[in-house]
Amino acid sequence: MSPTTLAHAIVAGVLLGCFYALMALGFSMIRSVTRALNLTHGDLIILGGYLGYWLWIGSGLHPLFLVPVAAAALLPLALGWQWLFQRLREPKELSSLVLTFGLSLFLQNGMLALWPGEYRLIASEALTASVSLGGLTLNRGRLLVAGLALAAVGSLHVALGHSRWGRAVRATSVDREAAALLGINVDQATQSTFLLAFALSGGVGVLFATLHYLSPSGGAELTLLAIVLTIWSGAGHARSVLGAGILLGVVETLTLLWSGPRWRELIVALMLLGTLLARAGGLVPRRSR
Amino acid sequence: MPRGGLIATGLVGLALILLPPLSGFHPYYLYLVSTGLLFGTLATSWNILAYAGQVSFGHAAFVGLGGYGAALASLHGLSPWAAIALGGGLGAAGAVIIGLASGRLQGASLALATLAYAEMWRAIAQNWDEVTGGGAGLIGIPALPTLPWPSPDVSGGRAGGYYLSLALLASVLAVFAGILRSRLGLALAAIREEEERAGLLGVHPLPWKLLAFGLSGFWSALAGGLYVHTVRVVEPDLVFSLHFSILPLVMATFGGVGTLLGPAGAALGLYLASELFLHPYVPAFHQLPYALALIVVALYAPGGLGTLFRRRRHGAA
Amino acid sequence: MALLEARGLSMAFGGLQALRGVDIAIEARQVVGLLGPNGSGKTTLFNILSGLLRPTTGEARFDGARLTTLPPWEISRLGIGRTFQIARPFAHSTVWDNVLVGVTFRARRGPRAALERRREVERLLATVGLLDKARATAGELSLGERKRLELAMALSTRPTLLLLDELASGLSPRGREEVMGFYGQLRGEGLTIFAIEHSARVLSRVADRLLVLDQGTVVADGRPEQVLASTRLVEAYLGEDDEP
Repeated sequence: MSPTTLAHAIVAGVLLGCFYALMALGFSMIRSVTRALNLTHGDLIILGGYLGYWLWIGSGLHPLFLVPVAAAALLPLALGWQWLFQRLREPKELSSLVLTFGLSLFLQNGMLALWPGEYRLIASEALTASVSLGGLTLNRGRLLVAGLALAAVGSLHVALGHSRWGRAVRATSVDREAAALLGINVDQATQSTFLLAFALSGGVGVLFATLHYLSPSGGAELTLLAIVLTIWSGAGHARSVLGAGILLGVVETLTLLWSGPRWRELIVALMLLGTLLARAGGLVPRRSR
Repeated sequence: MPRGGLIATGLVGLALILLPPLSGFHPYYLYLVSTGLLFGTLATSWNILAYAGQVSFGHAAFVGLGGYGAALASLHGLSPWAAIALGGGLGAAGAVIIGLASGRLQGASLALATLAYAEMWRAIAQNWDEVTGGGAGLIGIPALPTLPWPSPDVSGGRAGGYYLSLALLASVLAVFAGILRSRLGLALAAIREEEERAGLLGVHPLPWKLLAFGLSGFWSALAGGLYVHTVRVVEPDLVFSLHFSILPLVMATFGGVGTLLGPAGAALGLYLASELFLHPYVPAFHQLPYALALIVVALYAPGGLGTLFRRRRHGAA
Repeated sequence: MALLEARGLSMAFGGLQALRGVDIAIEARQVVGLLGPNGSGKTTLFNILSGLLRPTTGEARFDGARLTTLPPWEISRLGIGRTFQIARPFAHSTVWDNVLVGVTFRARRGPRAALERRREVERLLATVGLLDKARATAGELSLGERKRLELAMALSTRPTLLLLDELASGLSPRGREEVMGFYGQLRGEGLTIFAIEHSARVLSRVADRLLVLDQGTVVADGRPEQVLASTRLVEAYLGEDDEP
């Protein structure tokens, strides 16, 4: 393997990792505020992608303009999901898995009915050009997506750390009841988290559709990746999600370089299995006795 | 089982045995009810594991291993019967392997591990072109021997498959009924309710759990093997489909985890309702009953998930 | 040689040192009481002896066998049974099945005949006075009944050493008298007993010997009257004895 190939793979991995971090943020936020695990996460991203594709075909606009539209389109779903999640019983992690496992089936079937047949891609010429950077040839779309991801993670980091809203969300994540006792409006914090997470997922979907073919069942892999990242990043701070995302992107790119692209899905599944086994209890922190 | 339940079971069983002649051996209905019976087998297998408190999100792995194992064996010249049995063995082995994870993981973590495990096998089937035929799968799987009675022209050869599915369901129900009355049932219930306490009373949990995984995987895989010999093709997205993981969970929890007949009954009911009443009219949403059943179970049913999760509510001090 | 012997048992949970070098020796057929304030490490010691925890350092031997590397089911087969302070039955199983588990699985080759097992469950339930509740669900029992079920479950593996964790606490005066009766009966059957009780009075009535733990260390060990007279115990413990 030549040094250039390796350097290329690492840079591509970092870019991919930034996208992964952005992709996983919604999952991680909802988990930290409600303890629920949302298995429909990837399906929602795919749904955002299909909406973006549909609008792009119809309007011919630059895909970037469609990001906010797809984001807004998922907001009603956020309220529906929140309504359902509020009614989950203990133990929440397992109940939420069961519920969203079923919702995932429902979403996938809906998308299959609306967009049957061949796979779809937002093949906008504005994004497919190559850019030369320090001797490496990079895809403009991937650079743009990585840049957007960094900007989004950065602003979320600032917002969580330095605003009233961020304080409320953080307090709700740490201890919901204690936060409520301190006069924090936990319901509002939860609702805004759902809205933000779903908007992110919708927007990410459009970006995803510029890079990869969409298929109704493609969300499962994204969900698995989001879970891996969430476990790796631990407490779920935006910054650690970014770190975990970049690590995952680089690991994946290097592994694929070695194994060949056809084993991608296998590697994702093995990564989740390995992560769960290595960090037993990392997903559901054990209460001290 | 109370006397009334026994009589009701007998009547339902008799009706199922008589269904083919009653329906005039209509091939489509026979196919439909056979598939419903296979889902009944799958839901009951899932329930064996749930009885031990282990929630699987990955039964598609066992169905798929059984399906591919049986298909490959059949295509290499084994008789369908031996091929299906071999597939069953493969499914059982695959289940025991992921069962080992239950020594370390529980609840939501184990559920996710089983989900990843099924995805892993799907990815292997999808890409190991040399053996599995890749995404295109394998075709030309021989059909099951047709019953000489009545003539295959009448039933389209479906009557045999139908009775086999019925026999498979009966066998898994018999096994579960046996488990409920045996040492195995006692050990599994103890593990579900308070694993640590069970250990203090001499129950080494892992081997019992592995046995439950093995039995559950074996019957799921038999259903998979029978299924691919019915449809006569096998593809990754057909047998490793998320459906074979989600539907048994929905059916078993809706029918009542830990009850003997609930999961099979719910499987038949939900599947037939979906295929007979919704599929012809609103094909896109024919899976609505499953989604609704699941939401009902997850949010409201006291006897559904509650029975599964109760261990936690009374759990550690 | 002592039936149970522990040397230098220490247990740390993160930064918290629950046990610091505990040495214990208990002779066969002795009834030994374990006293100590909340958080002194009593239950941690039981968890180690029954195999739920592995000590950070030190080891324990039972009847010559090393306990501290064995899992709970092996320890149970060697002949150690225990109860929990807060009852932990199989809540949705019947009282009968709760006792049947230990009777069935206490040995690799437990009683084969169903009739033999049934007789034994009946005998155990009769011993603790729960025979009329055999078909009830364990989760529905009253506090006193749960305590008695705990005892029956602990006895179901036919232990030679019983670890009893606050069998009498939380009970009415009458319930406590009943528990006193159980202690006497078990001693009469030749069992070795290591018992935690909250009340020093209760313990001194039944024990041959008292041990006092404080902050993870044994601070007193001797005949009940000697230990109760010692000033160190008063400091460590009696201030908390809220059960008259």
